[in-house]
Amino acid sequence: MIHLYGIVDGLDELPPVRGLDGAPLERRSLEGLELVFSRTSTPPSAEVSREAVLQHAQVVEELAGRSGAILPAQLGHAFRDDGELATAVREQAAQLARCLERVRGCVEFGLRATVAEAGDAVPEAETGADYLRVRLEQARRLDGLVARLHEPLARLARATTRQRRPDGFSAAYLVAREDVAQFREAATGLDRAPEATVVCTGPWPPYSFASEAQS
Amino acid sequence: MSDSGRPVLAHEVTLLELVDRVLNKGVVLTGDITLSVADVDLVYVGLRVLLASVATLEEQRQLAAGEAL
Amino acid sequence: MSELADKLVDVEGDLHRIAGELEHLPEAFPRRVNADPEKVEKGLAQLVLTLVELLRQLMERQALRRMETGTLTDEQIERLGETFMKLDRRMRELTEHFELEEGDLNLNLGPLGDLL
Repeated sequence: MIHLYGIVDGLDELPPVRGLDGAPLERRSLEGLELVFSRTSTPPSAEVSREAVLQHAQVVEELAGRSGAILPAQLGHAFRDDGELATAVREQAAQLARCLERVRGCVEFGLRATVAEAGDAVPEAETGADYLRVRLEQARRLDGLVARLHEPLARLARATTRQRRPDGFSAAYLVAREDVAQFREAATGLDRAPEATVVCTGPWPPYSFASEAQS
Repeated sequence: MSDSGRPVLAHEVTLLELVDRVLNKGVVLTGDITLSVADVDLVYVGLRVLLASVATLEEQRQLAAGEAL
Repeated sequence: MSELADKLVDVEGDLHRIAGELEHLPEAFPRRVNADPEKVEKGLAQLVLTLVELLRQLMERQALRRMETGTLTDEQIERLGETFMKLDRRMRELTEHFELEEGDLNLNLGPLGDLL
């Protein structure tokens, strides 16, 4: 099985780290794209371990630091052989090239926000109208949260993704390197009233922007 | 910021964010079902399945059986 | 990753609120496709319920918008509300029945994420 770490551009040398299962990193060019992978004998039905996640993340991190652009691959997928990998890449070469250009010179930041009360819990509402009133209140609170926390950061990003969570939302931001300092400052100065739990992390390699399904 | 458990929790939360990125979470299905609902996959992950290849259930069984030999 | 601590930009508020997800962290790792028929059924249930939940949220959001713009009668509001309330309860029952959590029904909508 072939385990993929990502598609890179402008990588000089492979980083001095091993891949999953201690396998050496390998590189290969296809359709003008450079792939970094390792071979594993672990069948796909094996469980994913914490170590594997961290190892994969470390390899991606090292590659990101040595490349002009990177499309990180996720853990959990494996290609049967070189042929299957080549086919997959050929079929998507154009999109991959576009994505690579979009993330060039950028890093990813993440935001996760939750509000005090469990947003979606609706304790016994007596009537239908009551139920909708509670929902409206929750929706407004969520909208307010998004406006105060997400929008200021989105303005500083080249692209964003956002998704609703049971009691708040999470978002990812594609930020150009030259905007990172400003982004960090904005992230630490967010207005989180009414009291919300807010977690901002980064910079990450652009995992969430490795494909074209984002705004 | 006087919560003594905070450094540990902060580390765990960062790890959570990392795992969210590295692992393809969301709907977890067996190989067969993933293939049969490929359309749905495309709708929500768009081209995230670009780099994905899922061996069929049967092949997995064969691989697993082969490992046991 | 030794640099994990460097990835934290800012943390505000009570992290224990996210504790629920943290507890599931160890379970996140056995993230494997498998041949267990029960898991197959559970995976299918998860898919179906995720889609139903998505539609439910979209429809509810739409109803709320119309409620806000005042284009619904009181009677319509009551009927809609009751329907959504029952649907919400039924969803919770089904989710529980299949031993799923709310977070399991979260779909990454990509560019559609702003809809909700």
